[in-house]
Amino acid sequence: MMESLGYFFMSWLDVKMLLLTAAGTFAGIYIGAIPGLSVTMAVSILISFTFKWDINEALALISGIYLGGVYGGSRSAILLNIPGAPAAIATGLDGYPLAKRGEAGQAIGLTTVVSVYGGFIGILALAIAAPAVADLALMFGPREYLLLALWGLLLVGTLSGQSLSKGIFSGALGALIACVGLDPMTGENRLTFGSLQMSAGISYVAAMIGFFGVAEVIAQIHQLDLKPVKQNVSKIIPSWGLLKKYLPLATRTSGIGVVVGALPGAGGDIAALMAYDHAKRTVKNPSRPFGEGAYEGLVAPESANNAAVGGAYIPMMTLGIPGDAVTAVIIGALYIHGLKPGPMLMIETPHLFWFVVGSLTLANIFLLIFGLTGIKIFAKIVETPKPVLLPLILVLSAVGAYAINNNPVDVYWMLGFGVLGYFLKMYGFQVGPVVLGMILGPMMDRSYRQAMMATNNDGWLFVTEFFTTPLSAVILAAVVFTVVSQTQWWKRLRGLN
Amino acid sequence: MHTNHPRLPGELTFMALMVAFSAFMLWTSFHISKFDSISSPGVFPMLCAALMVVTGLLSVRQAWKASSSAQASQSVFQQFVIQLAPLKLVLFTALIVAYMLALEVTGFLVSSYVFLLLSMQVLGSKKMVVNLLVSALVLICIFIVFRTAFSVILPAGSFLGPFTPEWLK
Repeated sequence: MMESLGYFFMSWLDVKMLLLTAAGTFAGIYIGAIPGLSVTMAVSILISFTFKWDINEALALISGIYLGGVYGGSRSAILLNIPGAPAAIATGLDGYPLAKRGEAGQAIGLTTVVSVYGGFIGILALAIAAPAVADLALMFGPREYLLLALWGLLLVGTLSGQSLSKGIFSGALGALIACVGLDPMTGENRLTFGSLQMSAGISYVAAMIGFFGVAEVIAQIHQLDLKPVKQNVSKIIPSWGLLKKYLPLATRTSGIGVVVGALPGAGGDIAALMAYDHAKRTVKNPSRPFGEGAYEGLVAPESANNAAVGGAYIPMMTLGIPGDAVTAVIIGALYIHGLKPGPMLMIETPHLFWFVVGSLTLANIFLLIFGLTGIKIFAKIVETPKPVLLPLILVLSAVGAYAINNNPVDVYWMLGFGVLGYFLKMYGFQVGPVVLGMILGPMMDRSYRQAMMATNNDGWLFVTEFFTTPLSAVILAAVVFTVVSQTQWWKRLRGLN
Repeated sequence: MHTNHPRLPGELTFMALMVAFSAFMLWTSFHISKFDSISSPGVFPMLCAALMVVTGLLSVRQAWKASSSAQASQSVFQQFVIQLAPLKLVLFTALIVAYMLALEVTGFLVSSYVFLLLSMQVLGSKKMVVNLLVSALVLICIFIVFRTAFSVILPAGSFLGPFTPEWLK
């Protein structure tokens, strides 16, 4: 217990880590707020720079950026009506009308406090649930991991996009890209077309920077002409009466955030939309009608998306399955540092888990400090014109891709994936499942082959064991439900379409 | 399981290319280890590629059934240029390609500076002095931070590298 506490406070007592967490949170708020920059993009680029660092230092910085970034998106949603991050889409619905009424300061203050509150609930859930989930995960075999990874891919592919088939296509594309190179089990070349360069595989960091950085930069060119509106920012710190009024709602929606965040593949953006929907359905007398500046419309999504951060860490730390796109990238960082996320990580290196919990808590405290200060300067910075901003992101992306192996080939891969990602985005495909597929693909490949070999390559036995093993059967039911719930047939049955 | 969005120009062609690519990858995956065993190295890539072919075909069907967003007075190519590849986007992408290629030849500092200046100009930032100053300032910051905090060795360039002082590499 004392040992765990020691690791929890490690980043609090070490000056360098304290500063890194503070810097990460501060930078995260701006990254999340500036339309065109995203947390996933920033963490992807950052991983290529920090792999020479000590893992604790890298994780302290990333924790800050993650928490700050999820919150930061709300700033531009309120001030500019442009969500800085997907998790802030719901925030703009009521945040911008509030700003137009001259209540931008009040809206930002309330958003900050409920975000921090949601963040704490998420971290608490992580601290309590993760050890229990890790114990349960010890009972998982290759079959269960295969199903969990499949479920994660399906969830992210179906919940975040408009089309089930496009979601599955993207996930399968990512898993296929991950197959390129030497087969880790037999050493055989796969999909390398005789190229020595490709035998080493395709760097998923280069792919991530391409899909999340370059593709986004190119897509942003369609929105160059959006002119920000100047807002009056005052009275930032919310009154206790206002907070007390909204705490019950924030508690409920934080719960939604934790659960949605903990689902493999579903992150803060989905949590925020579900929480907004929950508020709309359950709050009988909102401060104003929803969509016209209701404070409830701010409280619900903002508490949920920050609570989802703690939730997303649960499957990442315990199962090695990312809760959302950012945790997919963080898993990449752990692999680079020679760590293998999963139940054994929790057992063999419990200090890392308590260090992460401590860093997230610290970052949440910094979020409160930075969230309530410097907003007037902030309002100016988020107005950075895109013609200046986009080329800068591109240069950072190029440096990030080059830094992975000091190899220009990674830069070319990044560019290729960037252009592909642009067209995928434009034609309604999601790039999140592609990256998730790249992270989960090797696990699925390994789990499938191990499970098949365990049955002596008996296909029939392989299939029937999905139904006869209780754990597999439960996860399989969730996978089937995820697919069925997206079909027209199901929607017609529920009267949704 | 369908989209109500109108079909964008070039969408059908893109989907068809994706299906063709998936079919090619299925064929390539099959040749990794054919049907040696049900747990051979080629099976998982084959499953992925097969799934891509099936879902790709479903997406083609959806796109086919969706109404076209193109106006009758304009050809699909004209619509494609307007909606997906406007001149600014094409020029900016061309600059990115040129920048990536120039990185190895002229080095990080020179190629990045020229890229920043030209792309800011192309994207519509017309204040030349601001562009010159912002580009220089940002590059100095990137260079210092990345060399000191992240220990990243930035490309010195095969052409200009031999003439660049050691502290600038």
